[in-house]
Amino acid sequence: MEPILKTENLWKVYRSSKVEVPALRGVNFEVYPGEFVTVMGPSGCGKSTLLYVMGGLTQPTRGRVLVDGNDLATLSDAERTRLRRHKIGFVFQRFNLLPTLTARGNIAIAQHIHGNGFDPHRFATITRMLGLTERLHHRPAELSGGEQQRVALARAVIHEPKLLLADEPTGNLDTRNSEIVLGMLRQLNRELGQTIVMITHNPEAAAYASRVVHMRDGVMVDGIPAD
Amino acid sequence: MIAQLIVRNLFHRKLRTLISVLAVGVEVALVVVMVGLTTGMLQETAKRIEGIGADIMLQPPSSSVFLAFSSAPMPVRIRDRLMTIEGVRAVAPVLLQSSTSGGLDVVYGIEPESFRAVSGGFVLHEGRELREGYEVLVDDWYAAARKLRAGDTLRLFDHDFTVVGVVEHGKGARLFVPIRTLQQMFGAADKASLFFIKCARAEQTPRVIEQLRALFPRYEIRPLKDLLSMMTTSSLPGLDAFHRSMIALAIVIGFLVILLSMYTTTLERTREIGVLKSLGASKAYIARIFLAESALLCAAGILVGVGFSYLARAVLTGLFPTLSVQITHEWLLRAAAIALGAGLAGAAYPTWLASRRDPIRALAYE
Repeated sequence: MEPILKTENLWKVYRSSKVEVPALRGVNFEVYPGEFVTVMGPSGCGKSTLLYVMGGLTQPTRGRVLVDGNDLATLSDAERTRLRRHKIGFVFQRFNLLPTLTARGNIAIAQHIHGNGFDPHRFATITRMLGLTERLHHRPAELSGGEQQRVALARAVIHEPKLLLADEPTGNLDTRNSEIVLGMLRQLNRELGQTIVMITHNPEAAAYASRVVHMRDGVMVDGIPAD
Repeated sequence: MIAQLIVRNLFHRKLRTLISVLAVGVEVALVVVMVGLTTGMLQETAKRIEGIGADIMLQPPSSSVFLAFSSAPMPVRIRDRLMTIEGVRAVAPVLLQSSTSGGLDVVYGIEPESFRAVSGGFVLHEGRELREGYEVLVDDWYAAARKLRAGDTLRLFDHDFTVVGVVEHGKGARLFVPIRTLQQMFGAADKASLFFIKCARAEQTPRVIEQLRALFPRYEIRPLKDLLSMMTTSSLPGLDAFHRSMIALAIVIGFLVILLSMYTTTLERTREIGVLKSLGASKAYIARIFLAESALLCAAGILVGVGFSYLARAVLTGLFPTLSVQITHEWLLRAAAIALGAGLAGAAYPTWLASRRDPIRALAYE
């Protein structure tokens, strides 16, 4: 089976005036379809940078990132945007919902950007699975943190992305809501076969994944089966 | 979906939206009212002169069609030569003076008899016709504006005149005094600023004009039925420049207001831009949101501006009944196009910034 995501000797160096700060230093990493992989590591080890590079939000300095066979390093900005639109979903630590839209609007806008119009069947399936049916007409400010993250989750998967990238999705949640959100990520993975890469520094959160890899100082240090 | 996002964003910041809409409204009203005021005054003046009922107006060489700027008196005896022209039935000499007491008013110094012969006479609302001395006839609009009745005193050219009658408007000026009085006051004995000529039959007018041109080759000879089309803003030096200045000012207002409003909007919604980009929104998608939002602001401002324009006209004509503000569909459309163009130009830079924003920096924006 071909990996849905593959990085080869991936480097990302940030330049601040005359100082160069390498965030990624030759990362080699593979994710196969249907996997739920957690990338664990301390703050500043390059986890979030890896996620942004894998999601095509920024270009690597060196190396290759292959998403469903497409090398992001060779794509133009517009092509990476198109790939992101069709193949990648993001969930962020801070939810990042649009404050003026309702939960329904926040989910629907992802379908609108995707360009295939509103799919009521997919919408109903996802919102039911995430327990949002009764909260769709509320704005983010009227929702709890857990509900907001579930809306963000629904938005990320509504267009059936090949890859879901989650950046510390429970970082702003209490224990109970963290468990709910992580349970839903696992449910999405098991019931819909959603491939997920989750960044976290929390071992309890990492335990929900089928595989955990560790990062330190911009490199992968191992790959440990969680089960 | 975009429409929903735009409308909700506009309502999210109600005060900013309100200020932007009001500013665009002021921009539209500024153009419409200023142009309406100048063209209204010109057209109303032209109609009044046409309303005299004469067929031809004869003025000295290089005289303006705007009578407030005319002087250059001619000898009244020219009338005798004019009367010899075949087809001329009556000739009325008029001496013009501009009065600045309470606004710019053109005062006609007339001979009551010859003016009646050319115009068919005044319709009196009250009082009597002019005779001689320091007497003045005022039209009904002027009387209403100044609350004047027959028997009242009106101060003109540092003299007290007795209002002897109030007449129906539309006979050239709003104020009429005996020509001899005006001639004495301004040392212009036996002089006139222009002659109104009445032909025996209207169809004789072109023939009479031909003869007049032969007799008075350098004089300004104008058929009065064309006066309305001649009284345009481009006929008056400086007025076009004034119009252009007003329009430029309006454009600057609209441009700056939308620029500032959309710039603060894009700053405030930096994270939103990052989120949309993470969802795969293209630069064009982002640009469409901000341009459509600006266009909606402008559209609302244009509607408010149309309302402001009619309100301003009502207030102005209520306060100054002799004013005429002509609001035309043509200028409403032009003002709308100016507001929309200026608004979209103002939105261009913030939109460009928004569409090019780096998604990671945008997502990290506090």
